[in-house]
Amino acid sequence: MRLLPPTRLIFILGLSLLPLLVIALMMGPVVISPGDLFRAAGAALGFSGSGMNAQEGLILSAIRVPRVILAGMVGVCLAVCGTAMQGLFRNPLADPSLIGVSSGASAGASLMIVLGGGALLQSGQFAGLSMVALGAFSGGFLAVILVYRLATSTTGTSVVTMLLAGIAISALAGALNSLFSYIADDEMLRRISLWQMGSLDAANWPRVWIATGVVTVLMILLPRDSAALNAFLLGESEARHLGIAVELVKRRLILLTALAVGTSVAVAGTISFIGLIVPHIIRMLIGPDHRYLIPGSALAGAILLIVADAIARVVVAPAELPVGILTALLGTPFFFSLLVQKRKFEEH
Amino acid sequence: MSLAAQNLSLSLSGVPLLDGINLEVKPGQITTVLGPNGAGKTSLLRVLVGELAPQAGSVTLSGRDLKSWSPVQRARMLAVLPQHSLLNFPFSAAEVVMLGRTPHDTGAVYDRDIVHQTLKAVDGDYLAQRFYTQLSGGEKQRVQLARVLAQIWEPSSEGDRYLVLDEPTSSLDLAHQQMTLDVVRNLAQKGVGIMIVIHDLNLAARCADQMLLLQCGRIVISGTPQDVLKPENIHSVFQVDAHIGRHPVSGTPLVIT
Repeated sequence: MRLLPPTRLIFILGLSLLPLLVIALMMGPVVISPGDLFRAAGAALGFSGSGMNAQEGLILSAIRVPRVILAGMVGVCLAVCGTAMQGLFRNPLADPSLIGVSSGASAGASLMIVLGGGALLQSGQFAGLSMVALGAFSGGFLAVILVYRLATSTTGTSVVTMLLAGIAISALAGALNSLFSYIADDEMLRRISLWQMGSLDAANWPRVWIATGVVTVLMILLPRDSAALNAFLLGESEARHLGIAVELVKRRLILLTALAVGTSVAVAGTISFIGLIVPHIIRMLIGPDHRYLIPGSALAGAILLIVADAIARVVVAPAELPVGILTALLGTPFFFSLLVQKRKFEEH
Repeated sequence: MSLAAQNLSLSLSGVPLLDGINLEVKPGQITTVLGPNGAGKTSLLRVLVGELAPQAGSVTLSGRDLKSWSPVQRARMLAVLPQHSLLNFPFSAAEVVMLGRTPHDTGAVYDRDIVHQTLKAVDGDYLAQRFYTQLSGGEKQRVQLARVLAQIWEPSSEGDRYLVLDEPTSSLDLAHQQMTLDVVRNLAQKGVGIMIVIHDLNLAARCADQMLLLQCGRIVISGTPQDVLKPENIHSVFQVDAHIGRHPVSGTPLVIT
């Protein structure tokens, strides 16, 4: 079934991004009025900054704006990499965690939390990233490289072996994670479990720049493999007979996913669900052509995470919910309604 | 120039599958490969298209080693229709056929025209907007045939074109079996070299210029259908007693069991 022409969906998503950005910037423990928002935008662009509350201006520039941008970037990474993995594995149920990146990152983060205890966590910073974030990125990347190497022989990379290796590495990382949790004290334990729920509350400008850089690389390189991903859906040898350099494409997709998901886990913890469901939903709406699926998923992933994060900030204010809880809470009903509609469609 | 195998030998996990095979698929000719289950037909096909690397021997395409062509160059000359299709994503039939244009950069408008022509050639124009996942087995097989046709529909600047088909008629009805043979013969007349792995001896006899009879990884006999389809050959390979008649119209051998 297809509910929409692909270009129309991308147009609608692109159009709704801007108003959603504005609303997301307004929402939070301190609500910022639209008027203040425009004054702040004017001030940032060099017009007169009069009449703007200094505190609200600071909240916007130091907290709200980087956070909303980071949410968008992380959403893009997760959704687009989910699309790539579902294409590579020819399975609409695949997601980036399948190749071990999420569990590897969790183990890396837990290790750092347990090792760091107090002092290291406070002082150890590198380019705006905490040691925990660096541990997460390294753990995730290492897990993917291990999975890839295990599945690669002289005859090429076996996707099936990669799947099995991913499960094995995830189990290993899960065991390490449990071990670190076991030896952690109560404070560390809480940090570990909060980290695993995913949150954007550590957003700052350095993180925004890193994530933006990664998204730029991802969105320049990945769409070039759209035709290859389409051919992959026919089967690996069919793709080869259609002139696709299969092994190169596989390596590129794996590395890009490790980089992008590793980065997003490092800056925002593990946010499940987006990588699995967003590409799935977009495919249901516009069909499996990756030339549209990749940009469509990118926009939808950004929107879902921006909206979920905005709600996470206000729903239990002045505290906030981990956003990973909300992505699933928000996306699942929508996904269910699509499933029901799809069934109705197929009965006719 | 041809798609040729010289002295191929292949074994997997110590089990010999092919032994000393020589074969030449010539432009404009149809070569059919026959043999009982496990004779090595599909293995031969997979070595010939570069999916399996032989332990000995070589495969050449237009006079050059098959591996020396870049993937895109090779795809512009050689199309392969596998026996089974794994596709379970809801592309429309037209989109599946369009995938056959992947190695070409002739533009969407031009490609859509070829998609239209090839779907028509397999009696599938009414399927164009249907979802591949909802087609019957035979319809899927015809759409996949249209896809490989679209891949080599026009002469390539790289060299002669070849089409390799693994049991293209296995789930087709009588009319569409005939249609497939017609499509393949038309292609051969345009200069495409064709190799078909097939089980039905009579279908093979109807279209083949050259026939290979395979048993236990060796070519037992090769030649024209008249040379190959003899009771003693059929008995020694299939252990079946057969009578050979003559097709009343085409004059090709008719195997009656």
